[in-house]
Amino acid sequence: MNQYSNEPEDNGQGELAADSPAGATGWGGEIGGVLLLVLSVIFMVGGWQLGLGVPTRLGTGAFPFATGAVLAVLALAIVIAERKGDGLAERPDWIGLLAISASLAVFAIVVDRLGLVPGVFATVVVASLPDRNLSLRGKALLGIIVALGCWGVFIELLNLPIKPFLEF
Amino acid sequence: MDILANFSQGLLVVLQPENLMYCFIGVFLGTFIGVLPGIGSMAAIAMILPITFYLDPTPALVMIAGVFYGAEYGGSTASILLNVPGTPAASITAIEGHQLAKKGRAGVALFSTATASFGGGIIGMVVIALLSPFLAKLALSFAPADYFAVILLGLIAASAVSNGGALKGIAMVITGLMLGTIGIDLTTGVTRFTMGVPELRDGIHIVIVAMGLFGVGEVIASIRATRSGTATQTVDYSDFYPSKKEWKSLFAPILRGGAIGSFIGALPGTGQTIAAALAYAVEKRVSPQRKDFGTGVVPGVAVPEAANNSATQTAFIPTLTLGVPGSPPMAIVIGALMIYGITPGPRLLTEQPDMFWGLVASFLVGNIMLLILNVPLIGIWVRLLNIPYKYMYPTIIVLICMGVYSLNNNVFDIWLTLVIGVVGYVMRLFRFEPAPLLLGFVLGPMMEEHLRRTMLLSRGDPMVFVTRPISATLLAITALIIVFALYSTARTHRRALAARLGSSRKEQPNEL
Repeated sequence: MNQYSNEPEDNGQGELAADSPAGATGWGGEIGGVLLLVLSVIFMVGGWQLGLGVPTRLGTGAFPFATGAVLAVLALAIVIAERKGDGLAERPDWIGLLAISASLAVFAIVVDRLGLVPGVFATVVVASLPDRNLSLRGKALLGIIVALGCWGVFIELLNLPIKPFLEF
Repeated sequence: MDILANFSQGLLVVLQPENLMYCFIGVFLGTFIGVLPGIGSMAAIAMILPITFYLDPTPALVMIAGVFYGAEYGGSTASILLNVPGTPAASITAIEGHQLAKKGRAGVALFSTATASFGGGIIGMVVIALLSPFLAKLALSFAPADYFAVILLGLIAASAVSNGGALKGIAMVITGLMLGTIGIDLTTGVTRFTMGVPELRDGIHIVIVAMGLFGVGEVIASIRATRSGTATQTVDYSDFYPSKKEWKSLFAPILRGGAIGSFIGALPGTGQTIAAALAYAVEKRVSPQRKDFGTGVVPGVAVPEAANNSATQTAFIPTLTLGVPGSPPMAIVIGALMIYGITPGPRLLTEQPDMFWGLVASFLVGNIMLLILNVPLIGIWVRLLNIPYKYMYPTIIVLICMGVYSLNNNVFDIWLTLVIGVVGYVMRLFRFEPAPLLLGFVLGPMMEEHLRRTMLLSRGDPMVFVTRPISATLLAITALIIVFALYSTARTHRRALAARLGSSRKEQPNEL
């Protein structure tokens, strides 16, 4: 996985790809348009089912239906433009995406079951996993510091009704 | 002078210890987050928003505004020292600023930034104080059709100039409008698109949308970019103050930049980046030093910075007098006000004078604080830039989680943030900008309501939009913007394609 190591991308545009988010490497740009098209159809169908009403009294579904219809046209135009144009999307940083998503999920799961302090600790450790420059001990230490900091600020200082630890 | 009396009234409000404290916290945190590369003012405001819910509306608004201009300010520090703009508008400052830094004159660049920012901020503040009462009076004669038109104009203007091109920008606005319909329809009481999830009945909270799109999305996007480590630059204090000649060369650019910035900032849908870019372009033509532009000149740093900061302040004009935010950060301000039950609009000035004039006066106080924070204390921010990102981003993720969780103490909100964050990241990959989406999301319900009222008042006749002079004018401008934006997008598209095919035969796009 070359997103993980910091090697230059292999298409001769490596520097651009590493430095700027605009660095595009072989991905179908039209997929974005297709996804929007799907979304627009969902809202059009949903709007239709909710009822469009009459012009004097617009129904619950009128606005979603109308915006969905406009979006459908735009999405089609995007698909066409992308097919005609360079049509490339940036390659995703899977590791970063996975780690950050997992860290939020861990927060949601752990805070509910074990409490704030273990939740924050686990979130920090998971979020920092893709970082090779930080040792495991460093990650744990950072986790402890941030967890204690959150306890101090959010529970002691701001009095949020969250328990630092839960019994299970 | 009526305005002077109002202003001094506002000054009394902001000088209350509580407001003063939150103003300071705002500009401090804003600078702090703005200095961090990759995290812009939008993420900064989104992260601060949950905290402000514990405050009264006035200190909350003062604090949000402080975070906003503090972050825009801090962005320039990072862009001068590292050439990594902390905020998009700061990339214009970086053109000359980083050249100066490379010449070993980073101190002078930072000092000019501080001065210009202050000057621009004060110009912007004066413009608000003079223009807002006038505009609010005008807005009192607005009918629902006119509001609909002005919202549409704001949305289109803001999205048509987005980086990914007009088509994608407008598509994002529409997507935002659609997502804004999720939850109970306030007119009919019917729930829409909640998929049976009770937590979605009240709609998606603006904090969740903003944190997901800007917080989570930006962190994922910036991990790779900043994994390569940070460059270090030391600021030489002996070379901090500009020479006498440079001092003199600062004055006119600040006035010009401030004037351009406050004009652009007050227009719906423009924002700081355009203000800074335009002011820089103008200065490049009129400056006596125009030949040296691009090599690192002091006026070249001052102009975009003055324009940026004055635009940041005047962006509040349409937001507070019409209730129509011209830019995504202002959309958050509107969202926050509505959470307090305050409807921004022409009546805000007369009904909440303390809040309005307190905010205006807080720009003066906040800019003085920024000057203090950034001239004698610049060393702190330079040192902050040296903290590796590896310590920063896990902490930012935790702050996002805490902010979202504190809304309802419900982990459902965290899961929702996760989903929106991933969507926001994927959008970036396809070069869809999240900012127009947020703008549409906030304005959607307002737009729908004005549309319904208009249709009710006109007994179902849509022609009212083109027969009322105000709305007809606004819609005509909107149409012009669309035509122009689509034309210029198509042109740059063709050029980019031609350049691509011409220069890089060896790497053909693989799906063609």
